[in-house]
Amino acid sequence: MSVAEIEAPKPGRSYLTEGLTIRSWLFTTDHKRIAILYLITITIFFFIGGIAAAFVRYNLIAPEGMIGSAETYNRLFTMHGVVMVWFFLVPAVPVTLGNFLVPLMIGARDLAFPRINLLSWYLFVLAGAVVLYALFTGGLETGWTFYTPFSTLYSRGNVAAAALAIVISGFSSIATGLNFIISIHRLRAPGMTWYKMPVFLWSLYATSVILVLATPVLAMLLLLLTFERIFHIGVFDPAAGGDPLLFQHLFWFYSHPAVYIMILPGMGVISEIVPAFSSKPLFGYKFVVWCSIAIAVISFLVWGHHMFVSGQSLFSALVFSLLSFMVAIPSAIKVFNWLGTMHKGFIRFDAPMLYAIGFIGLFTVGGLTGLFVAALAADVHFHDTYFVIAHFHYVMVGGMVSAYFAGLHFWWPKITGRNYPEMWGRAAALIIFIGFNFTFFPQFILGYLGMPRRYHSYPPEFQDLNVLSSAGATILAAGYLLPLFYLTWSLLRGERASANPWGATGLEWKTSSPPPSENFAVTPVVTEPPYNYPLREATHSHV
Amino acid sequence: MSEATIAHEFQYSSASHQEESAIAGMWLFLATEVLFFGALFLAWIYARHFNQAGFDTGARETALAIGTANTVILITGSFAYSAGLAFAENGHNRLLILCCTIAWLLGLAFMILKFGIEWRDDFNRHMFPGPDFAITGPPGGGARLFWVFYFFGTFIHGLHLAVGLGLVAWIVWRASRGDFSPKYHTPVTAVGLYWSFVDVVWLILYPLIYLIGRAP
Amino acid sequence: MGPRLTRLALTWVLLLVLLAIELGISRWITNPELRPIILIPAVLMVACVGWFYMEAGRGPEIVRLFVAASLLWLAILLGLGSLDPLTRVMYYVSSQ
Repeated sequence: MSVAEIEAPKPGRSYLTEGLTIRSWLFTTDHKRIAILYLITITIFFFIGGIAAAFVRYNLIAPEGMIGSAETYNRLFTMHGVVMVWFFLVPAVPVTLGNFLVPLMIGARDLAFPRINLLSWYLFVLAGAVVLYALFTGGLETGWTFYTPFSTLYSRGNVAAAALAIVISGFSSIATGLNFIISIHRLRAPGMTWYKMPVFLWSLYATSVILVLATPVLAMLLLLLTFERIFHIGVFDPAAGGDPLLFQHLFWFYSHPAVYIMILPGMGVISEIVPAFSSKPLFGYKFVVWCSIAIAVISFLVWGHHMFVSGQSLFSALVFSLLSFMVAIPSAIKVFNWLGTMHKGFIRFDAPMLYAIGFIGLFTVGGLTGLFVAALAADVHFHDTYFVIAHFHYVMVGGMVSAYFAGLHFWWPKITGRNYPEMWGRAAALIIFIGFNFTFFPQFILGYLGMPRRYHSYPPEFQDLNVLSSAGATILAAGYLLPLFYLTWSLLRGERASANPWGATGLEWKTSSPPPSENFAVTPVVTEPPYNYPLREATHSHV
Repeated sequence: MSEATIAHEFQYSSASHQEESAIAGMWLFLATEVLFFGALFLAWIYARHFNQAGFDTGARETALAIGTANTVILITGSFAYSAGLAFAENGHNRLLILCCTIAWLLGLAFMILKFGIEWRDDFNRHMFPGPDFAITGPPGGGARLFWVFYFFGTFIHGLHLAVGLGLVAWIVWRASRGDFSPKYHTPVTAVGLYWSFVDVVWLILYPLIYLIGRAP
Repeated sequence: MGPRLTRLALTWVLLLVLLAIELGISRWITNPELRPIILIPAVLMVACVGWFYMEAGRGPEIVRLFVAASLLWLAILLGLGSLDPLTRVMYYVSSQ
């Protein structure tokens, strides 16, 4: 994309140097600073959720359970799920990379509603405080799914507090999604038509559609749950004429689209990285962008596949199974498009690309095994086994977390103005890939053999695979810890980054690293298509 | 007053660009509210489907006269505010204040009728689904569920109306300071959308509560 | 100004007429399964408020997109969500 002159800012002046007090950070309306605030917050939650997972895997080393207490185990996997889903995966890319990059990519100076953006962070922090309170005082043992009647009648945990925390985080999500939708519609720079937007923006748009339409249903559901828990209103209690399946329908109406909230931004990141590191335009741009929209729409039609054995009617189970097969199609099309992009390209194996290639493989495994569980008859066997756990960890961890790390590394120079040490980046990517597969592939086998999920103990014949999985988890944990160290190190000692160290297309690379507060001195005018690779000017100075 | 002199935030190209974006944002927020109440309507569908006889038995005890009066009140309140917006767009500041005040008073009347009179009546007749709920026997479960829906639904709607009262009062206050003009009245439009939406929600709640279960 | 206020006032009259129709239908239908037909005039009233008071027709195009999307998604929630109760086979347990 060519731009009108963008004045280089005075050396050393950027959004990071504009105001050095804590006040200037806590009261900022600059989307870039809000992205950093979010980055710190979700990193904390990632490690809390990770520590809970470490305890879970530790427990499963021995068939009788190393921890010895079923109740404690239940609390651990609930903490892991609640924190990872709502306080890491759902926000991850949108609130960090999205907040930072959306205005830059559309050529705007900020999002449509900057104060609502700051409010969304405060709501997120408040929600986080309440959920930590709920999880650490008394805890929660219902699983992240809060199924009734256990959560309403029998749980001895802090159900109401946790539900309230998630409602608050939901408002934060809705605010973010609303901001993105209005910004993308209304603030694009001159010449930036829809088909000139990078796929990352289309992905965030699709994600935002899901955020604004699905989250309110969860909010109402959790309110009803809270009233049922405290006042026993009876809407979910069969003895009172209520229906426990109503809970599940409303829960999954949100939670299934929610998993696409998690993965779509990751797919957007991959769609930026693969062309850049293949020096080739994205293959089938229009297919990729409309598949993002299709995924967002179809994701709302498939929720009943979580309820095949719940007692819902056979007819609706059949409908949901059929629709679930359909939702796989646009995802598969994207995978083919990424591979088509790499085909005959000039591939560079920097860390972002290693994560992206890992994503493509791991997401494909996760996606294909999703078809296994989407098949109604097969799911009767797989439901509530480790097969399901392996499936969703392949897409969410192998897929989404890899994509998050890919994006973090790709845009790190832009966000911080520093290059991270490349060899450490590649090493971490490889360690994560190896550790991940050792952790989760055995779980497919365990599930196939019938090991149920959410049990603190298991029959002794499953021990070998469990030990293998837990061993893999230690490698995975080491892999995740590495970036914490070398990325932090780069903030202090990393070499300063140029405006476009990767030689990538996109408006964000046209401004300095890190950008000035107002993003662009002059509003850019867009005349070229996205992914205009290979770039004529060799601007990349990265090793 | 030319457009160039109306302030707008730096990510927008003009004041009207910002205004239209703000209005679009409010509509998008209302779209989320549709889904929020929609989940409650699904709960109504389930409750009535599985307990139809008891549910309707409970519904027959609602105060139809008050409910209908409240419907007329909110419709008129929506009319009043829209008229006020029309006046704002044409620079008639005092008529704007008058219409918004009427809308506010109508909203207040709704709150008094619903929570001061109707709820109190419902409590006195033991319609609150607590331990001394009046309807017992086989229809009791369904009737109780109806009254759960009634109190929960009107409570949530009432909260939204209370927020609306706050917003309309804020508009009246800003208008009295001369903040609005034909060129700038974005908050008036945005609050009007919210206010009418509260009316829209009631237009659906009203038949769900007062009419559908009341077969003659 | 005048025609606009007239339109707003006529909308108010129309809403009250629809309310009367709604009450009339409520008196007329006795079959409990058919009672939800009462919602038809209610939905028409919602459309009137949305079109004439909220002026969904004015404003940028995306407003119409948002309204359409919210209604479509509401239909999915209520429709696909009702599919299960409508098609479930209930095996009643005797209350002894």
